[in-house]
Amino acid sequence: MTPSARLGRRTLLASAAAAAASPLAAPHVRGQVAPVKIGILQPVTGALAQDGEHGRLGAEIAIEEINAAGGIKSLGGARLAMVFGDARSNPEGGVAEVERMQAEGVVAIVGGFASPIALAASQAAARYDIPYVVDVGVSDQIVQRGLRNTFRFGPGFGTVTKAALDNLVAINEAAGRPARTVVIVHEDGLFGSGLARLLNAQLPERGFQVLEKISHPTPSRDMSNVALRIRALNPDVLIPSSYYSEFVLLARTMQQQRIRPKATYAVLNGAASNFRFVREFPEAANLIMDCNHWADPRKPKTAEVRAKAEATGRFRLYNIPLNYSCVRLVADAIERAGSTDRTRIIEALAASTFEDHIMPYGPTRFVNGQNQGAAPVNTQVQDRDIKVIFPREFANANPIFPAV
Amino acid sequence: MSKASAYGSVLALGAALGALPLATESNVLLNFLIFLLIVAVAATGWNLLGGYGGQFSFGHAAFFGTGAYGMAILQERAGLNAWAALPIAIALGAAVGRVIGVLAFRARLRGSYFALVTLAFAEVLRILANVLPMTGGAAGILIRLRIDPWHFQFADRRVFYWVALGFLVGALLLVRAMERCRFGAWLVAVRENEDAACALGVDTVAVKVAAITLSAAITAAAGCLYAQKFLYLDAAIAYGPWISVEALLAPVIGGAGTVFGPVLGALVLLGLGELTKAWIGTLTGGAVPGVDLVLFGVLLILCVAFAPRGILGLLSRLRFGLRWARS
Repeated sequence: MTPSARLGRRTLLASAAAAAASPLAAPHVRGQVAPVKIGILQPVTGALAQDGEHGRLGAEIAIEEINAAGGIKSLGGARLAMVFGDARSNPEGGVAEVERMQAEGVVAIVGGFASPIALAASQAAARYDIPYVVDVGVSDQIVQRGLRNTFRFGPGFGTVTKAALDNLVAINEAAGRPARTVVIVHEDGLFGSGLARLLNAQLPERGFQVLEKISHPTPSRDMSNVALRIRALNPDVLIPSSYYSEFVLLARTMQQQRIRPKATYAVLNGAASNFRFVREFPEAANLIMDCNHWADPRKPKTAEVRAKAEATGRFRLYNIPLNYSCVRLVADAIERAGSTDRTRIIEALAASTFEDHIMPYGPTRFVNGQNQGAAPVNTQVQDRDIKVIFPREFANANPIFPAV
Repeated sequence: MSKASAYGSVLALGAALGALPLATESNVLLNFLIFLLIVAVAATGWNLLGGYGGQFSFGHAAFFGTGAYGMAILQERAGLNAWAALPIAIALGAAVGRVIGVLAFRARLRGSYFALVTLAFAEVLRILANVLPMTGGAAGILIRLRIDPWHFQFADRRVFYWVALGFLVGALLLVRAMERCRFGAWLVAVRENEDAACALGVDTVAVKVAAITLSAAITAAAGCLYAQKFLYLDAAIAYGPWISVEALLAPVIGGAGTVFGPVLGALVLLGLGELTKAWIGTLTGGAVPGVDLVLFGVLLILCVAFAPRGILGLLSRLRFGLRWARS
């Protein structure tokens, strides 16, 4: 080996060491404020990966924004650092990640997405008093367990169903009551069957006749039989409650077989409020209504977050604004607590009146961990876009009903 | 193998695993080890029937789920204490095993037909659990969080770990005892050649029914542990195919028909999964989710390709090879 080569290696080693040490030195340069670690728990592998990826994106946008605006001011401008955990679409995965987040010293956890993950993970977090904000999970059991660390920013199942029924009646009456008969198609899991049972009980009280409840498993690879049954029953309104793939399959089959009810009115549907569906199958998606989580179109911040999300090449899903808002809610609680002490953050969350979010909820107010202002909205696919049609005070389009 | 070394090796493994939590404070590791123990108990149950008896079941979820739901329902709906619910839930699992065994073995189902029937039973139970109000339907059932040893919930994760380890050691001792008694010999005879065993006077149906009952009881105990660890169940968790697969894969990888095979298999299966996850995670910064699962799959294929009789089988083959080379 020549001397120059040895010198070269030394220089290389020295510069590598300097480069490796620079991130360690950086916080001292910035002013010795330790970052505040916040756990983001989402399923990014397995069946729920699409939702989890979008949830993570929403959280990332919020953390980036908060850090760019100077971090947590009451903690001397401490930056938020994300500790990400993949829940692997099952509760054990969620619990294992909560344990890891505890070991890494997070001050709060946001996410979960599915109810089973949120139930198990929030319970695991309760053991360490880690504040846990559920992003989506609609099961009402989540906030009925008396866990003081668990908060849900979005609406639960009961609220969504009631709103869905009220809005359906209102839309129908505004159009002169053209719809009287209903067929419910639902997946046989937590969402679908619970929802179908509630709808089946309450629709007759509101002047609708339920012709049939048709259930299908998830995953299903063929919806022809369901579509044929719908054709035979010929309902005015079809209410589907399924996950993404099954609903897309049903909508496409119905389009091919030219089955056109007066309205397809989805509740908490995995596809009807998903831009991927609208872009990929615009004709099948056209005029489908959904009652679901959705960002408030009146708020200027909504468009900003949307632009940031779309710049990453992803479709716009409700997971993005919900997680964005949940992270901001937690940041606001840390700001007010002026501490990274978990008990104080829980107290700050419980007393929260946070309103700088992009959901159509108004100021936050938690009762037993449930945000009282949380409510779903009604959307409709119109002109290859998803518009808000109800409630009227912040709708950006009129409902097109009946569709045929 | 002498009696002392036969049981001593199980107890030595138990002691070694029991000392582990004294060396670590990490709850992440403890959480992983508890899950590993639960899978190892379920796999030991499968091994008794599949490994020793040669009756390959694809539906051990039926027993796991019955144990888990039994534990949850007896506590939450019947108001029973967790410790009182535990033996009843295990007995319920054993009863389900007995019913399936009597129906399947009386009908002389063997091989793939038996596997399909067990799968079907597990699926039927999953669908029932998904609709019955008693199981909480699709919304699932929650066991209330009451951290108190009286309710089988411990503030210190190590205690739960030791309880789970106690179950595993108990199950392993049971399998060892079975291996050394006449019943074990009958069971192996059924595996090797059922017709020959029958001709020699072994009541093959009775032996298989007894084996599936014991096997179901052990797997149901794993279900009880799962319910107490995670405190939430739904149909897909309790009766879903995931546990049937894990309970089957662990002994197959570790060495079916051996006492320690399921434990080793569970360790390799879950350990490999965690290691690839951590390794890929640090390598890519979590940028590409799922790559670790691909690597895990490849390693699993290699494992099965090069160790068709499981890791214990591979080890004994290597030992034999070495001895042969020396001579």
